[in-house]
Amino acid sequence: MNRRLAGVATIAMLILGVLLSLQLETQKSVDLAEQIQTERLNQISGVLESLQAENARLLEENTHVASELDRLREAGDTNPLLAAQLEQLKIQDGTVPVRGLGVKMLVTDSGPDLMVLFPVNTDDLCNIINTLRFAGAEAISINGQRIVASSSVVLSGNATILINSVPIGRVGATTYEILAIGDPDVMYDYLNRLEVLTLKQAGMRVDLTKEEVALPSYKGSYYFDYASRTSA
Amino acid sequence: MDGAARKSWPLTAAVFLVVLLTVTLLRSNLTATAEPSYPTGLPGLLQLEIENERLAAENERLWQELNQLQNSQNGSALASEQMDTARLNAGQVELTGSGIRVILDDALERENSGYGNYVIHEEYLRQLVNVLWSGGAEAIAINDQRVTGQTEIFCSGAFIQINGTRQSPPYKIVALGNQSDLRAALQFYFWDNLGHYQQQYGITRELEIPVQPLTVPAAKTHAIRFAAQAREGER
Repeated sequence: MNRRLAGVATIAMLILGVLLSLQLETQKSVDLAEQIQTERLNQISGVLESLQAENARLLEENTHVASELDRLREAGDTNPLLAAQLEQLKIQDGTVPVRGLGVKMLVTDSGPDLMVLFPVNTDDLCNIINTLRFAGAEAISINGQRIVASSSVVLSGNATILINSVPIGRVGATTYEILAIGDPDVMYDYLNRLEVLTLKQAGMRVDLTKEEVALPSYKGSYYFDYASRTSA
Repeated sequence: MDGAARKSWPLTAAVFLVVLLTVTLLRSNLTATAEPSYPTGLPGLLQLEIENERLAAENERLWQELNQLQNSQNGSALASEQMDTARLNAGQVELTGSGIRVILDDALERENSGYGNYVIHEEYLRQLVNVLWSGGAEAIAINDQRVTGQTEIFCSGAFIQINGTRQSPPYKIVALGNQSDLRAALQFYFWDNLGHYQQQYGITRELEIPVQPLTVPAAKTHAIRFAAQAREGER
């Protein structure tokens, strides 16, 4: 009887010992993993902060130089008619930021209260752009990327959408913000009839409003290395 | 009775300890193997990085312009140069250069079942234009309609509306740029799909890479009525 108890106790102690050492080992590796994770997060937020600071500095420099340029131009004897035409052209090629009456469309495809099987894809965005152009939009932007003639909307990997070769994250990780300047009534009407329903049927939340919007400039560059003016 | 109880309590304690340890072990193992949560701001980070790069380039350009303006006796030479560039960018200049031509056409005979895969749809044209831009096209025209930032490609019944004009098949898409880049841009599933439609339904999908230069016409001017120039970063 006593021998049997001793046998059981020995086996139990053995198992206990193995478990204890195992436990200690895993705890060690878990701690290490957590430490690496925090370090990584700290590093990234550090990079983000310095990038944001750099961005603010560049924007300030940009405003500064642009206003100085404007001052000089106004002081010069530039023909006001030419200046106006230049402005129109620059609004069309997207190289200047613009502001004006238009529409704002917010498309939310993820969130706690949404059940969306297929999130917004490149085709959805292309359709919205096309409908806006059809409605006579003068300027369009999606999540801060100005849409110009040569803007392409492509998928990179299986979830990242690139516009103008720049990955566009969703605003607040859930929402696409589409801004357009043009006749607000026409654009509102066209979007409402042609795009909003499809997106809503897919389970997304769509907010469409007419308002004054401000769009950034196109930050890419135009290049003509293979094409040149047709010589007469 | 007393003796049995006294005998079984170390056993109970041991079992209790084993269970406790097993549970904690399992839990810490689970957390260790769980997917590490990556920071969600990664695309934002990349976006900011690229934007900064481009802003820096933009600023560089502005400084140069400022310098030129300061140096030039009168601003008019500079103004006309700017005008030329802006017209070029906005697509209001006819361009000639190397490029590719894609021809899409409806099937000659179609079965009674309707249009379906026998005709060229607006999406085909839009997809093509999108991939050609992403492949580095410098200028694109469809049936001599220049594709600009204001160009719609919209289905209106038997026609496809482009720049407010009605276009019917065959659709000739001309893209200027590096020929091998443009050709490479076409190598994706959509182009293969069109190939299948060609075999099964008889639509036309043709790619021409001519040696002689191609021409893309100038776009018509658009009146801007709602948008006005603003400052960067203004909200």
